[in-house]
Formats: sequence, C-alpha cells, structure tokens
Amino acid sequence: MATIEVQRQILPILGSPNQGARFYNPELPSSEPFVPGHRTCAGCGPSIQYRMTSKAAGDNTILVGPTGCMYVANSSYLCTPYNVPWAHTQIGSAGSFTAGVAAAYEAMIRKGKWKGEFPNIICEAGDGSASDIGLASISGALYRNHDCLIICYDNEQYANTGIQASSRTPYGGMTTFSPPGPLVPEGKKLFPKDLARMMAAGHPHCYVATASVGYPIDLMNKVRKGLNHKGAAYLMVYTPCQKGFVYETPRSIDLGRLVVECGLYPMWEWNPEKRAYDYSFRPASMRPVSEYLKLQGRFGHLHAEHIASLQKFANEQWRMLGVQLPEALIQAADAKNLVNMASAAQAEAVAQTI
Amino acid sequence: MSTKGTRIPDWLTVPFAGITPAPSQEKGQDLFPTGNWRSIRPVYRDKLPPCNNACGTNEKIQGYLDLVKRGKYLDAYALIKEDMPFPSVTGRVCYHPCEQACNRGQYDEAISIRAVERFLGDLGQALTHDVVKAGKPNGKKVAVVGSGPAGHSAAYQLARLGYKVTILEKSPKAGGLNRGGIPDWVLPQDVLDREIERLVELGITIKTNCEVGKDVSWDELKKNYDACVLAVGLTEPNSVRAEGENKAGVLYGLPFLRDIGMGTSKVKLGPRVAVIGGGNTAIDCAREALRQGAVEVTMITVEANPKEMPAVPEDLHDMVEEGVDLMHGRAVTAVLGNGKVEALQLHPARFSGAINASPITVDKDAPAQRFAVDNVIIAVGQHASLAWLPAEFKNERGTIKIDRFGRLGDTKFFAAGDIVQLGSGQPLMVVNAVGDGKRVAFNLDKVLRGEALQPRTIPIDVIVDLNRMNMTYFPHFPRVQQTLLPPVSRRRTQDEVIQALTEEQAVEEASRCFSCGTCNACDNCYLVCPEPCIARPERSNGLYKILVDYCKGCRVCIEECPTGCLEGVPELDFDTGVVRMDTAFAISPGLHGRQAEELRKLGDRPAKNI
Repeated sequence: MATIEVQRQILPILGSPNQGARFYNPELPSSEPFVPGHRTCAGCGPSIQYRMTSKAAGDNTILVGPTGCMYVANSSYLCTPYNVPWAHTQIGSAGSFTAGVAAAYEAMIRKGKWKGEFPNIICEAGDGSASDIGLASISGALYRNHDCLIICYDNEQYANTGIQASSRTPYGGMTTFSPPGPLVPEGKKLFPKDLARMMAAGHPHCYVATASVGYPIDLMNKVRKGLNHKGAAYLMVYTPCQKGFVYETPRSIDLGRLVVECGLYPMWEWNPEKRAYDYSFRPASMRPVSEYLKLQGRFGHLHAEHIASLQKFANEQWRMLGVQLPEALIQAADAKNLVNMASAAQAEAVAQTI
Repeated sequence: MSTKGTRIPDWLTVPFAGITPAPSQEKGQDLFPTGNWRSIRPVYRDKLPPCNNACGTNEKIQGYLDLVKRGKYLDAYALIKEDMPFPSVTGRVCYHPCEQACNRGQYDEAISIRAVERFLGDLGQALTHDVVKAGKPNGKKVAVVGSGPAGHSAAYQLARLGYKVTILEKSPKAGGLNRGGIPDWVLPQDVLDREIERLVELGITIKTNCEVGKDVSWDELKKNYDACVLAVGLTEPNSVRAEGENKAGVLYGLPFLRDIGMGTSKVKLGPRVAVIGGGNTAIDCAREALRQGAVEVTMITVEANPKEMPAVPEDLHDMVEEGVDLMHGRAVTAVLGNGKVEALQLHPARFSGAINASPITVDKDAPAQRFAVDNVIIAVGQHASLAWLPAEFKNERGTIKIDRFGRLGDTKFFAAGDIVQLGSGQPLMVVNAVGDGKRVAFNLDKVLRGEALQPRTIPIDVIVDLNRMNMTYFPHFPRVQQTLLPPVSRRRTQDEVIQALTEEQAVEEASRCFSCGTCNACDNCYLVCPEPCIARPERSNGLYKILVDYCKGCRVCIEECPTGCLEGVPELDFDTGVVRMDTAFAISPGLHGRQAEELRKLGDRPAKNI
C-alpha cells in the first residue's frame, strides 16, 4: 500500500510593527477559535493565554484539555466556548491523550483515510497537570516526539480547586497548602520546579520556550514556532490568576510584563537544531522583585529576608540569561539593605536608581 | 446560584439537558451571557488631545497625525482643511502652541506638528484639484474686508457654506499680513499665491485696490451685501515717541516688510541698522535687514533679557545664529542727526508693570548713551486705522467693539482677527486670526439662517495627565529635526531657512504621536481581552465593539489602553442593554434584545409560583 506523506501547516511568523509600541498588526488572523461565554473569573490570565494561543493556531486545530481551570470553568453543561474540536482528558493523561490524537492523524493520513491537512494539535495543561500529576505522560509524549504542542499555562497553583500549592508555586507564595504562620513565616519554603528547563534538558530534540501573556505577539509567535516545528514542542506560559495571586483584575497583562522585567520568569527559547538556548529576548527594563510582589496579596506576609531571597533567585535567573546585573539589584538581594525599608514604596525607590 | 425566590419568566425555562448548541464566532457561547457579572463597563470615550485644544483654530491634529502614520495623506490633508484654509502657510509660520501643549513634551520631546502640517500643506499645493469644494449656493452675498489670515479663513469657510463671497483688499495683491508681514525666507510668495488661487477656485471674488472708506463706503457695504466680515487688521505702526523720529532713515517695521513683500520697496539700508522692539515683527525686521544688505544689525529692547521678549524662542535663536546683536534694557529717547539718522540716544529703561504691554519707565537721570547707526527700524506694535467706521462701533482700545460672537451690535456686520483681538489677551498670531475668522464665519451663517447663537463651550475633558495613559507602550524616540540652511549662507539669500520633511520623516514623526485620549485602533484592547468580547468588525478608528452580553468588567482593556480612551463607567449609569442578575439563566440566541423586551412587559404579568 502506497503511503501518503503527511502535509503540515506552516504558520507565518508575525512581525512586530511600530517598534513593538503597540500590538496593532495587520497580519493578525481574524479567526476566533475561543469565543466569549465561558465562566472563568474576570481578568483570567489562562483565558487570555488560551485565546491568544488558539488565535495563533487558527481554525484547523484540535485542542486537548486535561483537568484544570480551562476545563472546569469552561465546559460545564456539555457546552464549551471552543469553536474547534476540543476534548477533555484526565489530569494525569494529558501527554498520552495528545500523543494519541497526533499519532492517529498521522496514521489516518498515511493510509489515506483522512483527506484534510494535518491539524494543529495543542494540549493546554495547567501547571498542576504539567508539573505534578501529568508530568510522566507529557515527558513521554515529548520523548516519543509526536507532532503536537504541549502548553503549560502556568498560574503557579491548583486554582480551580481553591488555590492549593503546586510544584510551580513560587517561594513565599501563600496558598491554602502553604499558609504563613509563626513557624513558617514565608508560607512556601521551596522554590518552584524549573519545569521548562527540565523539559529542554530532558528532551533536546523538542522545541521548548517560555512566554508570558504580557507579550502577546511574542507568545503567538512562539506558539506558531512550536506548531511549525516537526515533532513535539513544549511551551510554558505565565498566566496570572486573579483569585490566587490576589490582585486587582486590571493588572493581568501588567503582571505578565512585570514578572519578566523582575527576572522571576526568564524568557528563552530552546533551539533543537543547534541544541542551545536562545537568550536574546530582553524586556524594556529591569526592576527589583518588590515591584512585582507588592501588587499581589499572596506575597503580603513576606519579610525583608524573604524578599531578599526572591531577589537572589531573580538575580541567578538574570545571570543565566547572561545579563549584566545593575548594582541596585545586587544590593537588593541582601536582607540588610531591605530591612530598613518599611514599605514597598521605599523598595521601589531602589529601582529608580538603576 | 440558586434560583430560589427568583422569578424566572416562561421564555427562560428551556431544557438544560439534551441539546447544547455549538458556539459560533459571531455570537459566542450564548448559554453563558457572563455580562451580568459586571459592575463596571468599559466605554470608548474620546477625549480632547491637548494639541487640538491649544491650537488657535482647533485643528484636529491628533486626527491628521494618525492618518499620516497610516499613509493616508490625502485624508489627512482633507481633515486639516476643515479648520485651516492654508496648511502650507501655517506649516511654515505658525508659532505652534500645539507643540508647547503636546503631552509628549513631558515624556521626551514634543511632536514636530508644524513640520508635518507643512508636509501636508505642500502635498495639497501639488494637487491639481483641491479636495475642498464650495457649498451649494444659497444665493446670499457676503463681503469680507481684508485678505489676511482672518479674512482668508472667514471667506474660505463661508464659501464652503455656500455663500457668494467677495474679498475687498486695499493692497494691489491679496494676502494681507501673510504677504506683507512675513518675509519670503519664511513663507515664499508662490506658496501664498497658490493658496489664494485655491480661494478663487472656490468661487470667491477678490477685488484688490479696493479700500473701505475710500473706494467703497460703509453704507455701500450695508446695501450691497447680506452680511460683512471686517478683518482689516492693524495697519498703522506705533511710534516710540522719541525726539526727531521723523528724520530720514527712520523706518517702521510693518511697512518695511510690507513693501518688500509687495515688491514695492525702494529702501536702501546702510551698513549699521538698529531695530527697536523685541517681538516677532522686530525679529523678522532684523533678519530681513541682514538680507537687505546691512552688515551690523543690533536689536534694542526694553526687556532685560531674551527670555522676557514676547517672541517665538526658535526664531530668536535663529536670529542670534545669523549674527544679530541684542541690547537689552534700553529705550530710544531721541533720534540724532542732521536731517538724516546718524545716531540714537539711549537711556536705561524698564516696563513699569509685570507685562510688556505696560508703560515704559525711562531712567532719564542716567547718562545717555550714543549709538551710531545708519538706519533705524521701529517695530513696537501696530494700531488700527478705522476712520471709516461709525463711532458707535469703536471701543476705548481703538479697535472694533463686538459682542462675544464677533458681531457688531445687532447689525449683519462681524469682525475678526487682530482688529478685535488686540488687547483681548489672545496672541496676535496667524493661527489665532484663522480660528477667529472660522468661528465668525459660522456665527454669521447662523445669524443669516435665523438660528440662535451659542457661546463657545470650553472643552473640559482635555487629557493632559500622563497617568491616564499607559506609558509602557511608548518607547522613547527622539524628535525628527527639520534641517536648516547654514547661518552663513542665510544672510544674503531669500531662500527658505527651514527645510521640509521628507515623506519618511513625516511618517516617522507622526508615528511618535501618543494619540492622547483618542482611539487610534491599536488593537490592544482587542488582543488582551480574556473573554474575548471586544469585536473588531472593521479595523479603523474607534470601531471596536464591546459585546456587553459577555464583558465581565475585568477592566484589563482599560488598564492596557495606551491612549486613555477607554474608561470604566459604573453599570448603573446605563439604562439600555443592561444584563441584570435575574436573567442569568437566559439560554437562547439573541436573547438580550428579547430580554429587554420581555423585561419591559414583566410588570403586567403575575409572578410565577416556584
């Protein structure tokens, strides 16, 4: 039996006109696979990410939704806001289900049973699924190199069950599993799992990248690069959660920018051809972590030494990106310098000296 | 949410199980009209950018910069022509109050608005047919006395409204102060000629050598025309009241420039020239004197330093660069010489009041200073010549008495420009005269159509606070500089000093505009909406639609709007399209139109027993 070669969609990479000043982009696709009428919270970060991702992927897309906010809040009563095929799977089987869809389409096309183009297969796993419960299955899908894109929308906790700590919850983040108290004043003592680097290191043949909702065109381009990559791709996207992070809803996009500017969420791409990290992304400015922390209620209990350890963590991230650290950020990593600061406003004053 | 105690209308009791309609791109998933979560609704509300507000004729500056940015030059030109009959002129001569008001000035450098205006004006000059057409003729005749900026503007607007306009100009050439007060190296004559041709193309008759009071009388104006706009300007130069001011070699600023402009000048300047005065006309005279052959030009002002001079700082800078000397804190007390000027007698002096229109105090006890010159140009302001005007319409300032609409009593006469603005606190600048002419033309139209005149409303919502905008979207960019002729080569030529922007430069400069307070279709709100409930049926200015059925009121779009156009308005302020809590279970398509209708009928129905 003659085999038919699988034709893949190649999505164009978006330019960023006006020197990145605005998102205005004439090439922006008009299709809207994710429509309004879903019950996520107002200002939901994962929902912003979901919309941008599906818009970048286009109409010939199959979405896989393991258990998480984007399944629970969006698909009650058997009705979903997805305009494209969407399937729920168990939280632990995100990778195996996605791999199955990809393998099935490849086989059907090869045997001539499916005449259409190979669809974009995207798995939208939350950080609970991607970093804890479904880690094994996702690693398997990446290892076997199925042609799919696995996205971890990282809201840094189990949000739909009522804010529990996941292995992506940052140091000092308050959740119902990591409440601050007299014995553990910082709340969460462990630093988050470096999931994306783990995926890049363990599956070097895959396209791996980190992105943030604060940079929509960059996010959409990374999605398209991942889909264009022949083989498995993995994307970790920072998506703020208004309920868990405890912030004012309008700041969703702002936090997406601040987390990158504070160095807590380094943006990079793993280039599978060169087997090397691409650290060329640079935010518009560098800020101390206190500017990011002060916007969020989940960090409200932190003392100076905790902020200093977060700053130390951020400084390590900057060094990994090969960025020369300004003196003010090095000083802010020392609790002695921070202890005199009674308020976040004074910590912010440090930033102005950069 | 429990439905206990909630009145559910019949039309909402649709089975939940069984059929679940698929969502569509147009309507969304209308089983969940999440708009009822909202307490604050985002609303696009355009505010007035500070540049539009500061402009003397309220040009839609943000609007045309935005069009230039998108390469729609002809639309931009048409927009500018709504308020400004001659952008090619103001693009060269304007003192640009818009640039002083520009919000970008607080951030890095103001937009070079005048340069972009000139780019558009030059584009308009190159067109074979102007985009502006005369209005449908309404059979009424209007005379405009004077063809300076105010008269030009009034005639232009009246022609657009359909009037048959006749301009009466006493000089042999039309143009008024645009021709007579502005030197060639700022505004070349052919640019102005082309703009006046445009007026003739609109069907306006221009009668030159026709002076009111001499060739045509007040009564004739009254009899022959339905209405009349007096834009006669200030024609007579003020004197410095110095002894011997009538000696040969003493010139007055405006006639000096006017004769050169009209091509009737017979003046031969000596090598040493003194210019008396510190205003814009004095600066133009000093720079013109260099071009007319003077070697040493000194400007003598009463002001104690350059900062106090009532002049445009750029022009002052260019003048000093060309080699004019400044002498501050002096007043001329006598012109010395035997029949012809040989020297000036100067005394220390200062203004007695805080502003430089106040009387001058001369220190007569101080030793007099002798200053040798060959010519003196006196440029210390102008006054009106209104012998022909009936006395009842004159005021104590020697100008025309008008009401706040520019009207002379109950007559069909209106007045505009310097002749009414002198002493009113308005700067006597081209753009202010143009604005005055425009407003008077509209008032005249209202009077002739028998409509009530409305006082001019001062816009309140001028966006001047950068905190209302999201500055993260604006990287710092330096201003595009217009090239200037080198000062050395300027001194002997009538060539234009300031050079035009190229197309690329104009687009680059327009792209720096913040579009303060106005939707410029940047797609930010569209892209950051989590629902997404911001629809973009067409991509053009302000055409986003917020689907209020779904908007949860998270205000991300408001926070991320770079220009501050989006605002949050409390939901209770709306009485239409409101989704209330008792409609949370509405589950059929097109439900909100129907909901609203049903809710109106609800009062007639008995409550359903649950």
